[in-house]
Amino acid sequence: MKVAAALEARPLPADTRMRHLRAYRSMARTGLKSLLAYQTSFLFGMLASTFGALSMLYLWRSVLSAGPRHGFDWPQMKAYLLVAFVAGSLVSSYTDYRMANRIKQGDVAIDLVRPVDYQWSRFAESLGVAAYEAGTAVVVALGAAALLGGVPLPDPDTFGLFVVSALLVFPLRFGIVYMSGLLVFWTQNYVGLQAARIALITLFSGALVPLVFLPEWIQVASAYLPFAGMASTPALLYSGSLGGGAAATAVLVQAVWSAGLWLLARGMWSAACRKLTIHGG
Amino acid sequence: MPTHRPEPRRRSDVDFSASVVGLASAKVHDGSVTLIQAIGLRKVFRKPDKAPGIRGSLRHLVQRRYSEHVAVDSIDLSIAEGEAVAYVGPNGAGKSTTVKMLSGILVPTAGQVHVDGLVPHRARVENARRVGVVFGQRTQLWWDLPVRESLELLRDMHGIDRSRYQERLERFDSVLGLGDLLPVTARKLSLGQRMRADLAAALLHEPRVVYLDEPTIGLDISVKDRVRSFVRQLVSEGTTVMLTTHDLSDIEEICQRIIIIDEGRLVYDGNLQAVKDTHVRERTMSFELEDSLLGADQIAARLPGARVHLESNGRELAVTFDRMTLGARQVLSAVLAEVEIVDMHIDEPAIESVVRKVYAGQLQAEHGGATNSEPMR
Repeated sequence: MKVAAALEARPLPADTRMRHLRAYRSMARTGLKSLLAYQTSFLFGMLASTFGALSMLYLWRSVLSAGPRHGFDWPQMKAYLLVAFVAGSLVSSYTDYRMANRIKQGDVAIDLVRPVDYQWSRFAESLGVAAYEAGTAVVVALGAAALLGGVPLPDPDTFGLFVVSALLVFPLRFGIVYMSGLLVFWTQNYVGLQAARIALITLFSGALVPLVFLPEWIQVASAYLPFAGMASTPALLYSGSLGGGAAATAVLVQAVWSAGLWLLARGMWSAACRKLTIHGG
Repeated sequence: MPTHRPEPRRRSDVDFSASVVGLASAKVHDGSVTLIQAIGLRKVFRKPDKAPGIRGSLRHLVQRRYSEHVAVDSIDLSIAEGEAVAYVGPNGAGKSTTVKMLSGILVPTAGQVHVDGLVPHRARVENARRVGVVFGQRTQLWWDLPVRESLELLRDMHGIDRSRYQERLERFDSVLGLGDLLPVTARKLSLGQRMRADLAAALLHEPRVVYLDEPTIGLDISVKDRVRSFVRQLVSEGTTVMLTTHDLSDIEEICQRIIIIDEGRLVYDGNLQAVKDTHVRERTMSFELEDSLLGADQIAARLPGARVHLESNGRELAVTFDRMTLGARQVLSAVLAEVEIVDMHIDEPAIESVVRKVYAGQLQAEHGGATNSEPMR
């Protein structure tokens, strides 16, 4: 009996990895399916942000008709804003909202007795959802591009970096969104947190206004904060406004923050578990 | 004097209880594998002390005061493999908190806990592979998905291979009628259907230990019966079961051992029959008499300490007595010495009256009161 228990406690690593891989793949699929159950509300959300993006585009078109500003001409700005729009649509509709509700209502107790890691599980679910979010956002962006007379192709010199940068948007956004969801362990309420988180990201990521248009201190701060990597960096790389050493540094900052946020979130989770109180049975 | 002896209608024999106690306590102490072990388990929740109204809320922002609430206060538990234990107590006694510490959901404030050799809150994932948890008030199922997809996801999480999974599904179909529920989206299930699906979800991976936290809450009789017989079957197969419930029939039908807690403290831990013997000493024998009797004084005189009650029709007699001072045989012969009887039965003490005593604070006095709230800055 004892020997059997010891063997169970340490299964072969390869076996465990396979099981985990299958589990997280299924969870990614589940995330997507759960989103599809609320497809209408998702699409309405997408419609709202599309209108927001369109009005920004028209505003910038009229501003830039007088000539380029801070190195942005109209076609570059179009590309910048549309890439930022797609980036901003990731991990925006499911992860934090669902997490916050489950924490608030105590259903997180169930998540704690599942044989999978909580953070990787949310990551997998968010990835499944992000596939759908990205797909929809790209369609919308292409539609908008057609409406506005086309968008230049990405700068070939920085295209490789752009791809890496675009892929890093997901772990960055996940990190911030996941941690804002975890804060519900302390606040027991999410409405205010979500609003604050959205405001923070929108300003510091340069999603609406490129960072060069903002005051000096914001530019300096955002060079070191994780937010620029969530919209500005890939958008600048696409539009060719960022090159050379600065481009490589910006992508490196993204990568470092992706790992850093992951570890920070780990620490936050273990603090949250010690803090956890389950109300109502 | 009576000329014939009636066949007594007895639900249990007076002397039978002693042998059951002996057997069950042997099982606990015979060196069988201890699966759940807790020593000095304690959980303290901190809650904000807010004065009412906006003023109170604002003051709380500046000057934070908390009071501590001791939900579980130094509990020791030792549960052997294959045991079925009822964990009972009034609302807020700390039952669910204990179960949540044993299942790794909550981190204990102090004390040690080991389940199947693991510390549950440290080895959460590994622990979750070996235990199953059913919360009557929460669901394991993915709310927006058909039951089948929830189960498939759990299959992948636990790494159950497909043929084993099929066998499990067939098993659940035969005992829980799961088949009809598989295509239904979880949020459309009735409470009874949901509980059946939830049991399947919690037991899919054949856990060695199962915690059932109020599994029959809100269910109708037929679903309750189904759930109970399913759990009985689990126990007979050697699964260790810890059951939290307010439904005393659950306990009597499933468990041999009962642990009673109140205000976070262990009040009683022992054999179910023994607790009845210790705390439910009164039993009642009821007789149907051949001829109507005018008074029962003579019977009462033969049975000092017992309460004798005669119905106004003179044909029904009830004798309530302390089983430790009087035996059923003595009562029977005292009655037979005076009247002829047609029929009789003994009302066995129900566990309900024990728990009611705990709820009413009667048992607590024997163990000293617990201080539950200590103000703290």
